Amino acid sequence: MSGAPFSWRAGGCHCGGVRFEVALGEVVEAQSCNCSMCAKTGFVHVIVPESRFRITKGAERLTEYTFNTRVAKHLFCSECGVKAFYRPRSNPDGWSVNARCLDTTEGLDLRIESFDGQNWEVNAAGLAHLSKEPA
Amino acid sequence: MSLQLAGHCHCRALRVILEPSRPAAELPLRACQCSFCRTRGALTTSDPAGHLFVEAAPGALKPYRFGLQITDFLLCAECGTYVAAVCEIEGQLMGVVNVVGTELAGFDGRKPDPMVYDDETADQRLARRRDRWMPVSVVEVQPSI
Repeated sequence: MSGAPFSWRAGGCHCGGVRFEVALGEVVEAQSCNCSMCAKTGFVHVIVPESRFRITKGAERLTEYTFNTRVAKHLFCSECGVKAFYRPRSNPDGWSVNARCLDTTEGLDLRIESFDGQNWEVNAAGLAHLSKEPA
Repeated sequence: MSLQLAGHCHCRALRVILEPSRPAAELPLRACQCSFCRTRGALTTSDPAGHLFVEAAPGALKPYRFGLQITDFLLCAECGTYVAAVCEIEGQLMGVVNVVGTELAGFDGRKPDPMVYDDETADQRLARRRDRWMPVSVVEVQPSI
């Protein structure tokens, strides 16, 4: 992964009240999860380290929703309800951005794989490396 | 006894009950390609001869409008889930239910029809919905499950 060229990509919720930027390479690993939460929101995960994500507008408009272990901080726009990013339980040191909320995926090689979040305890460790900062 | 399909948002503050006139397998499954539905991968259904009931815990219903401003997208204020869309047509509340957000049974594994409505005028939109959407009742009450 050394020297991978990242570029900042913008995205946001539907009403425009919440905006973010995320630094992505050309090849983007993404996960489509079948857990109780993701199944309802259609969230497509792009997990990145803390340093590759920033909220650029509307942090004060975010509503936080937690359940079960309450580790994951599910964040959605209080106006349009769209969850553009959140703090995932699998990667509490990083962020998960919703690929559906990027302004464009042009120029990205988005590789979406299924993640079995219904058996989260067995599978979550396989995602931990995605939020590690480069050494 | 009439058939019922029930679902709810993630935190269960909103519940939907669809009383269809025919089995779920015979109802349409639509993948609207608008900017709002694509952020959620929403898939909707409606049954003009059926009826949709939405039960909302006090304070849990957050309506959202955009575009032509004639439709209320019904969101849960607690967990953000999009459960249904409604609009008033000739004095009757009409709507569709989001089978993804409510995890309504009977639609798994089906291939949805992609729908593009971007070029419709408000009149054209209401005329289409009068034919295809279903009557809806929204009740503020603690959901019964």
